[in-house]
Amino acid sequence: MVAVDRKHQIIDLETGQLDRRIFVDPDIYAEEQEKVFGRAWLMIGHESLVPNTNDFFHTYMGEEPVILCRDGRGNLRAYLNMCRHRGNRIVRTDVGNSRNFACAYHGWTFSNEGALEYVPGDEEAYYGALDRDCLGLVEARVDTYAGIVFATWDHGAPSLDDYLGDARWLLDVSFNRLDNGTEAIGPIKWIEPLNWKTAVDNCSDNYHVPTTHLSTIIVQGRHRGIPRLTHEQQFQSENKHLFVNGHSLTMRFLERADQVRQTHGVTPENLAAFEEYYRATLPEAERRLGSLRTRLNLGNHSLFPNGVLGLRLAHPRGPLETEFWHFVVLEKDMPDELKTALRRGSANYNGVNGIFEQDDMDNWRGVTESGLTRMGRKYTQDLSMGVGHDRRHPDYPGVVAGRYTSESNQRLFYRRWEQFMNADNWEDIPLEPKAMDYEGTATLRG
Amino acid sequence: MELWHELMEFYIREAWLLDERRFREWLDLFTEDVFYFMPRRLNVHRHETDRELTPVGDLAIFEDDKTYLTMRVERLETGMAWGEDPPSRTRHIVGNLVVDPQPDGEVQAKTAFLLYRSHHETEENLFSGYREDLLRPVDGSWQIARRTIVLDSNVILAKNLSVFF
Ligand code: FES
Ligand SMILES: [Fe+2]
Repeated sequence: MVAVDRKHQIIDLETGQLDRRIFVDPDIYAEEQEKVFGRAWLMIGHESLVPNTNDFFHTYMGEEPVILCRDGRGNLRAYLNMCRHRGNRIVRTDVGNSRNFACAYHGWTFSNEGALEYVPGDEEAYYGALDRDCLGLVEARVDTYAGIVFATWDHGAPSLDDYLGDARWLLDVSFNRLDNGTEAIGPIKWIEPLNWKTAVDNCSDNYHVPTTHLSTIIVQGRHRGIPRLTHEQQFQSENKHLFVNGHSLTMRFLERADQVRQTHGVTPENLAAFEEYYRATLPEAERRLGSLRTRLNLGNHSLFPNGVLGLRLAHPRGPLETEFWHFVVLEKDMPDELKTALRRGSANYNGVNGIFEQDDMDNWRGVTESGLTRMGRKYTQDLSMGVGHDRRHPDYPGVVAGRYTSESNQRLFYRRWEQFMNADNWEDIPLEPKAMDYEGTATLRG
Repeated sequence: MELWHELMEFYIREAWLLDERRFREWLDLFTEDVFYFMPRRLNVHRHETDRELTPVGDLAIFEDDKTYLTMRVERLETGMAWGEDPPSRTRHIVGNLVVDPQPDGEVQAKTAFLLYRSHHETEENLFSGYREDLLRPVDGSWQIARRTIVLDSNVILAKNLSVFF
């Protein structure tokens, strides 16, 4: 482990002070593309986006344009969207179905298994001397967790299973509850004028909700019958916040087995139908997840580095810009009426126009831009809430914050970022060994 | 032609209500059963333009009923809807009206729009698109029973869509 001469020392875990330059410095940003986005397992889509052979879906791994496709044999593949000739993009659409990808510049054509199949003038202009075998598409490693597709450029990276570690123990209660799994729809795409890290660290910040989102909490109480949390419920909640390998998971205890798992889209009119659905699917969920985990709910969460609240992605676009993608993941077995409610609720609460989320962006922008000025940079960001109160818990994975509301999330997210940025390769990046008992039949693959 | 003039005036009045931030009065232009919808717009090949607009049932950008629209307006009145407080400065320019009266007395009306938004100190957005409305005659005037808004963009070049279309 690199310990003595760490290049990046941006977060002090004893005092919670954070160096603001990480949001604005172009050199740090460039290094992040290599050391964070070049190494990590990144969420890039969902199997349901490419259901048939030869389907493709255009996505990104950080800044890198990527073609996620299902090849002729039904395997998921992810390629850099770059022609090996001069570098043109070979796919220019968001979606499609094609056995091969023809470059619109000079016509080099690649199969969806990555091979360079056709080069105009191969015999004549190149005199048969082009080594086509060395000029296949650049391919990423792909794996899936319960239908969600991840990819990494780093062939030295650990398995996806180890990368998620025991975060999966709790992620399962949201994404791996039923035999038939989930489907993803979307994404809504938009550009936010802020550093990607401010969006990620905020989406697992339980502290900002009663202030940032108060206007929506008020109207939601009025029209959707969802009561505002009391000061006690906010600051003395029994719910937990867990941290594993840089992933952050808010864990909520369900009061009843048929309690609705999410609130966005739930109305007084459809509440009974949701409860009926959760009652009806309980035996299946218990078989898959065991009895302890079926009593838990996943709240705000993020997957290192850039996944937040389910399949929502913060793609870096320069230090001061982020392309945000909002997908909705739904259980396939859910009745259409309830899927519709969650789909509308998800976009209307958390999309580009979300009545919650539209109040977030200016905060993230303000935090980002505080690093731009000489005076702003002189003062560290204060993330001291709850310093010294993190614990291990015999029943739950990872580090457990002393309280439901703390800044352990931010401190540990930036510590993870430091670990990636200071590492020469994956050997230097610590991983927590998996230690939880995965009661039930659910596996990484679903 | 008379209907065209009447509806053009309706849309001009609507634009002023929005730009003068008279959102309660704007809300009254919609029926109780309104569906206010903005599909996503995909980047697809010319021979696949039937996939360009996502259908109802796929993830949409807006998919509001009257309650969602009311929540959006009431939020602003709390004084704590920070994304719009301080408020955006908007200018809705509406034109290219085409009217298509239906046998049952309702009217399909299509308009093109440019929506300029300035926020805080120097932020600017320009949204371009069209709207397809289903207008219902109510008490000698018109109400919007269905509105589909189509933006001319793929990745939306704005931090949020906290303004109305
Ligand atoms: S750049 Fe693709 S064929 Fe030349
Ligand atoms: Fe928020």
